[in-house]
Amino acid sequence: MKIIHLADSHLGFSSYSRLDEHGRNRIEEMVYSGFDQAVEKIIELRPDAVVHAGDVFHHVRPKIKPLVVFQRGLMRLMKEDIPVIIISGNHDAPKSFSSTSPFRLFEGLRGVHIAQRYQYERIEVDDHYFHCIPFCLEPQDYLTEFEKIERSGRDVLVMHGLVESLQNKKMRSVGEHELPDSFLKSDFDYIALGHFHGQAQISQNAWYSGSLEYFNFGEAQDEKGMLLVDLESGKAESIPVKPRYMIDHPAIDCSGMRSEEIAQCLLALCPEDEIRDEMVRITLKNLSRAAYRSIDQTRLNRLGASALYFKIRTEFADVEEHFERPVDRRTLHEEFSGYLTEESSRELMPARIKDEVVAYGSQIMKKAVLAKHKEALDAS
Amino acid sequence: MAITQEERLAPEGASLLKRKVIEKGDTMYKIVSKSVTEYHFTVPFNLNDEERVEVGQIFSIKDQGLTFLARVLNIEHSSNYDGHWDTTIKGTNFFDSDQIFNRVIAEPLGCINKSLEFKKSRTLPTKFAPVLRAEKQEFKFLSQVMGDIEIGHLRNGSRLVEEIPVALHSEAMDHHMGVFATTGMGKSNFMKVFAASCMRLAVRGESKFGLLIVDPHGEYLKGKGLIKGLTHLKKYRDGLACYSTSKQNASDPGVEELAIGIKDIEPSDVELYFDWSIAQKDALDVIPRIFNRDWLTEIQTPEGMAQLLKENVIEGTAGKISQRIKNLLSKNGYIDNIRTSIPNILANLQDGKVVLVDIPKMSDRSELFLLSILSRCILDTYKEEGKPERKNCLITIEEAQRVLGAGSNTARFESIAREGRKFGVGLCAITQQPKLIDKQLLSQFNTLVVMGLGDRNDRIQLEESAKQDLSSMDTEIQTLEKGEAVVSTLKIPFPVPARIHRYEDYLRCLDKEDKQESLIIRGGFKPFLD
Repeated sequence: MKIIHLADSHLGFSSYSRLDEHGRNRIEEMVYSGFDQAVEKIIELRPDAVVHAGDVFHHVRPKIKPLVVFQRGLMRLMKEDIPVIIISGNHDAPKSFSSTSPFRLFEGLRGVHIAQRYQYERIEVDDHYFHCIPFCLEPQDYLTEFEKIERSGRDVLVMHGLVESLQNKKMRSVGEHELPDSFLKSDFDYIALGHFHGQAQISQNAWYSGSLEYFNFGEAQDEKGMLLVDLESGKAESIPVKPRYMIDHPAIDCSGMRSEEIAQCLLALCPEDEIRDEMVRITLKNLSRAAYRSIDQTRLNRLGASALYFKIRTEFADVEEHFERPVDRRTLHEEFSGYLTEESSRELMPARIKDEVVAYGSQIMKKAVLAKHKEALDAS
Repeated sequence: MAITQEERLAPEGASLLKRKVIEKGDTMYKIVSKSVTEYHFTVPFNLNDEERVEVGQIFSIKDQGLTFLARVLNIEHSSNYDGHWDTTIKGTNFFDSDQIFNRVIAEPLGCINKSLEFKKSRTLPTKFAPVLRAEKQEFKFLSQVMGDIEIGHLRNGSRLVEEIPVALHSEAMDHHMGVFATTGMGKSNFMKVFAASCMRLAVRGESKFGLLIVDPHGEYLKGKGLIKGLTHLKKYRDGLACYSTSKQNASDPGVEELAIGIKDIEPSDVELYFDWSIAQKDALDVIPRIFNRDWLTEIQTPEGMAQLLKENVIEGTAGKISQRIKNLLSKNGYIDNIRTSIPNILANLQDGKVVLVDIPKMSDRSELFLLSILSRCILDTYKEEGKPERKNCLITIEEAQRVLGAGSNTARFESIAREGRKFGVGLCAITQQPKLIDKQLLSQFNTLVVMGLGDRNDRIQLEESAKQDLSSMDTEIQTLEKGEAVVSTLKIPFPVPARIHRYEDYLRCLDKEDKQESLIIRGGFKPFLD
């Protein structure tokens, strides 16, 4: 059996405020067209199933466009009789029961299986069982749900989250759940992971397919695309969907360079045709402020006009390290605990219940802050 | 604590935690002699079983404001007669019963002053000062000097003082610990109790060190039959991270399949695994210079072999090394090309958790090889500057005489024993034969848990290198029963007799504790957010 493993489509993601001729965000449109291309590629490869390991949508409440794009893709795959298995991820799963999952719109479609109810679901396709653990509300729920898995001998695990051992933890975000390495059992035929945007093999049988698109310059070195997996041999083959379009040039040391030299350097890096529709970032370090100022600004502005995104990052030689005022990093409930402790030291309450009252008050505040925070995540 | 049904049913001696509480003794004896270093008092020669005096018992001597504590070293027959009176027939009897008695010889432990401070005693109690069995009242001061890792209860002779728990100090753990006992005296039970206490501290956020246990017998993880394992402590399960080489044990979602990355292995680790000739050792020394971290893979390729030959290694030697490496990789299935558990193990240790590496049915060499890789990685990590909240680390070594013995070739563990303390890495050496451990190394151990050693040489070795004077306890150590221990650690003023908790009982206790701790759990007032 051959499957396509993809993840982290983030339909609805938009950034950098560059608009096309219709006033649409160029990056957002690029994400949609990338998804369409991926669907076409899948149809061309004719796998026995497609697994999407979380974060189809960028938001819990997607706009209409991403819903339409997703629906269009699903319909194409349905028409070709390719079964689709999807789990919800941290981006598209509501963080409280008061919101409704966008995936409810796609329930009951033939050959489309979506695990989004914060619990384990087993999906049978041909002779394989796909054990799906979608986004769960509490970290400890993953263990409870994992314990429900009964092996059939032909098993695929689908999960979304950052595996504990993954060294690259740049992607950490609030409300994120770490998956323990103890879930990476060797008796699964394959483990399809989502959340980490680079393509990465985590163990003999576990892979992150990575995302289809580049979402920030931290990902500039990543390979992007899908994986074509042969469940019998366990072999995973990388399937690129589009050519690499993000370039983060290594920093250029500009110490001692005059404005003309800097301009020449920039021009050499950015031929208009070569950077068309690409995302380019150039870092200039040890730069003389005066030299940079005297470069012709109109020339500078024209430089990246054809690019999808263009940025020159400047690190001036004359700027001393910037010392910021120390930030008070205390959370609200920590602040409140501090206040309670301070208040209680004024001996307004009997010593015998003091500790308990302070602990109780702090607990409530913590719960309230957490609840508020989850609501805010849902709204985003 | 009430005796449970299970304990009643357990056969005599099977239970390590035989619950007995000291009764208030009415019998009063008197000090008769002798000096600041040795007290003598007399007791009737025909005491009944309940009142019988035993070696190791602690008595208290009240003398005005001071309470002296003394431990029984020996008991002798004695009388007011001279000569062979006890073998001479006198009338119908051999003796007048009021002229004979037993003489109890006790060593002073120290004295407690009015403000309940314990000090070493520099004087001796007044003659005829009354002597009583020490009660919980006299032991109270001990509670204040105990640490945070509970392991058992105080024992007075063979009686238990339940009110006084014996607990080791986390702070002393990087000063190394030794656990010494012959087979069947309860070493495994002790280690599980110790680990359970550490798990409890980790979950409560009070842990000060991470504990690494490499278990070659596969008995700590899930236990065996009625004997429970560490995973049975569900309440504090979050304080435990498990790694296993056994497929069956690793089927548990909370147990990670152990993987050692092929790049984590260094030539010095492989050196331990086989016996090498001098030429082969020289060739191994060359490896770090010509290969990178993936040397185990590279050396097996023809290019790798050619590189070795270029360094003047003869073909036979290079071939032998390559052959042995193939054997090593095929015999140790946990060596992995992609995944490695080491960063997770290090992170958990630095978080102050208990890390259990379960390696059942592994050969002696493989076990040492694995332990050596882990210890090296730990020491290397701790040598680097870490986060301020990083916890210390204690590495447990079973059958420690293999690696800490005089003449053993495992300098790595010896260097941890000698310099690990500087970086916050301690050793917990478990052995049946302390006599085989290098004396200098043994003297680095600040905490000793001795659980019955029959061999005189073992005891002498310990007594000669212990930081506290154990020589007077020779008889007691010899006569310790299963589950009993003498605990010597610098923070507690004298070696303390203890009875280690029976792990299964301790599990029940831990499970019950804290249930009524806070208002929220008690439901005093219902949180409105639920």
